[in-house]
This record gives sequence, C-alpha cells and structure tokens, in this order.
Amino acid sequence: MSAAPPDVDRDAVPRSARWLVGTLLVLLLVPGLVGFDAWPLTGWRLFSLARDETQTLWVLEAVDGGGSPRRVDLEELPLRYRHAEWPMADLPGASTARRQAVCEALLAAVVDVEPATAELRIARDAARLEERDGEWTVVDDLEVVHACQTDDLGGAGA
Amino acid sequence: MTRVRRWVDDALWGPETASRLLIVYAGLSALIGLRIALGSYRQLSDTPPALVDPVPILGWLERMPSAEVIVGIQIVGALAALAAVLRRRPRLAFAVAWLCYLVLAGLRGSRGKVLHNDLLLLWASAPFLLAPVMVDARDRVARRRYGWPIRVAMVITALVYFFAGYHKLRRSGIDWVLGDNMRYLMLWGPSIGEAQWGGLAQWVGEHLWAARASGAFILGLEISFPVVLVVRRLQAWYALAAVFLHVTTWLVLGLDYWAWAATVALLFIDWPAVVRRVRSLARGDLAARDAATLPVPGA
Repeated sequence: MSAAPPDVDRDAVPRSARWLVGTLLVLLLVPGLVGFDAWPLTGWRLFSLARDETQTLWVLEAVDGGGSPRRVDLEELPLRYRHAEWPMADLPGASTARRQAVCEALLAAVVDVEPATAELRIARDAARLEERDGEWTVVDDLEVVHACQTDDLGGAGA
Repeated sequence: MTRVRRWVDDALWGPETASRLLIVYAGLSALIGLRIALGSYRQLSDTPPALVDPVPILGWLERMPSAEVIVGIQIVGALAALAAVLRRRPRLAFAVAWLCYLVLAGLRGSRGKVLHNDLLLLWASAPFLLAPVMVDARDRVARRRYGWPIRVAMVITALVYFFAGYHKLRRSGIDWVLGDNMRYLMLWGPSIGEAQWGGLAQWVGEHLWAARASGAFILGLEISFPVVLVVRRLQAWYALAAVFLHVTTWLVLGLDYWAWAATVALLFIDWPAVVRRVRSLARGDLAARDAATLPVPGA
C-alpha cells in the first residue's frame, strides 16, 4: 500500500473538529425541530405567530393622589426596565408575593419619571387596532392584575 | 459513497482557501469584539432582582452582576477579540472573546424575553473555536482543513434561517403570508423600541399587496435558504437578500439585527474572490479572475 501524498495528509479534518460539529448540529437541530427555548439553545420562532387586529399588551398606569391615571410607556423608563412586559405577563399565575415584588420593582422606576405617583397598576390590555376616518387607533380594554402603593416601598424604592 | 453522503461531506467539510478562512476568522472576531464593546450591557447592572429571569446557562445568577463586573467582561472580551483579529494566540483569544460574548448576550436575555439578536453570530462562530491556527496565507490551494469552519458555519446559518421559516409555517400556516399578518405586524409596530421609518411601516401596513409581498419574500427567503448549500452560485444573492431583510426590519420595526446581516455577508460572500475580481476587472484582465485559486487535489 502506498503512502498518501503529503497534500492529502495535510488536508485532513481533525477528529476534534468532527466531534465539535456533531455536538453543535445536535444542539441546533433538536430545539430547532421541536421548537423549545433554553437559551442559547432555541427554536428560532421569530415572529412565527401571525398577528391580527387584537393583541394582548401589558401596561403600567401611574395613579396620582387625586386618583387620575396616566399610562407610563416602558420606553420612558431606563433600559433595564424595557423588557418588563415579559415578567408582567407571568403575573396572573404568580403568587401575591411575586406580584408585589414585580410591582414594587417597577414602581420605584415609575416614581422617578412621575413623582406624583401614589399607586402603580399593572394591567392586561386586550387592545384592538381600528381604522377610523383613515387613522389607525388602538382601542384599549384594561384589566388590572395587580396594584401597589408608594407607601409599600418604604425605604426600598428610594 | 452515495450521492447524498458525498453532498453532506462537501457541505460540511468542503475545501476553501486560506485567505478566505483568514478573512472570515478576522471578520467574525471583529464582529464579536464590536458587539461586546458597543453593547449597552452595563446599564443592566441595576435591574431589580424581581425582573431578572436568568437564561439557563446563567441559571445560578440571582441578580445582575455589578457594573464593574460587566465592564470587566467587556474589556477582557474586546481585547481578546482584538487579539484574535491580529492573530495573537488566536485559538485562546477567540475562545475568550466568544465566551465573554456568550455571557454578555446571556445577561441581556435574562429579562424574560428570548432574544435572538446575538444568537446567529454566536452559533456561526462556534465552529471557529477549533479552526486551524497554522494558516499559510500564501497557500492558494483550497483545502478541507481551511474550509470546514466556514462550511459548517454556512450550514448552521442556513439551518437557522430555515427554522425561522419552518416555525412560521408550523404555528401560523400559509396565512402568515396570505392573511393580514404582515399588515398588522407593520401597523402594531415593535413591542420594544420604535420604527426608524414609521412612514414606510404604515405604508406597507395600509397596502395589503405590499404586506403580502413582504411576507412572501421573508418566508420564501427563510424556508429556501438551505438551497445555497447545494447551489453555491446563489450564496451571494441570498446574503444580499438577507442583508436587505435585516436592514428593512430595522427601518420598519427598529430591531437590531445588524449582527445577523454582517455575519451572513461575511460567510456567504467569497471576499478574496471579490477582491481578485475587482482587481482583474480594473486591469481589464477577465481571464485572470479565477487564476488565484488552484484546483483541490483529489477533489
């Protein structure tokens, strides 16, 4: 049997590379096909649910001492609060302590942008997009899931 | 060897030139370094523990690390990425940069929402953790040992796009394209952030044909992406289409997918060949355009 030409010897893919690639492909294919997320493993379900005229939103309402509510957009809060819609969406099935902890965490930031806030309401909004006179308008339908007061904060929110 | 087995073998382990490997390696390292250095990670440090939901690989975290720790990871990661670009202890440098990026992207994703913005770059870069260190840039022979990290990264990228399309079909069916989905996607806008060009989003939303055409383009691109592994001459076109998709996504939804756009362009466009072609065209020497790459021995 003749020896392999030097060029072919130099051109082998190492065994360690084959193991790495095999592992990577399994870790990519299993969640990809099944569709589950365990970051950085993911099902890659980007925008996969079709949108329609209704959408469930999670919103914050700051209520002042006189009882007047004002909607506070998460974009008004610092960057670390921008994804708070996801923790809020888990609140319906959460314990009272968990609801209160999330509410107080958000209240501390809301008070910074709306100092007159006496109460913060976390609400589920069954929003509907409607066209009226050529303009697209969001019609809100709020259901308060939890509320907390600035009195609850004590020194923690300062 | 059967035809399918030969095709799989070529898709994963096929040959590329040393110059292409060096460019892709340096490009991915630079991208990782930029994401690490420019990302707004330190602002996460004061996230209230009640709003922290660590991703599985950071499941041991009870709260976000301090700003000092986050900045420290950024500095180490950015320097390691720079060392990888300059090929100073490249394997160690690349691994350190990749791990720092993984941790930082994981921290950003530890707020309840599954974030995909950094995942394509992380996944496509993973094969380069074991990419060959000894690379002779003057070697003009396309070789398998230079080619496999690029080929595997291409397979990973093609599968990622395919899965994105596959789950659209699986969860929403063809209505994702033919229904009102894209119209309302444009009109509702993003759940986080805002459109860079709100007028374009509204125009697409108000013209059903444009919304459906956009949906057909996106789903068609994603689901057919693995075709580029078979028909290699389509690779640059798919790369340009993906860049177009991510740029327009940024315009109409404000979503940061530039790491995806850059990764795809880096992997699927043969940049050394582009440079050679431009040079030969500049010289008016069309015949010389492919002379720099020699045939693969035994291929």
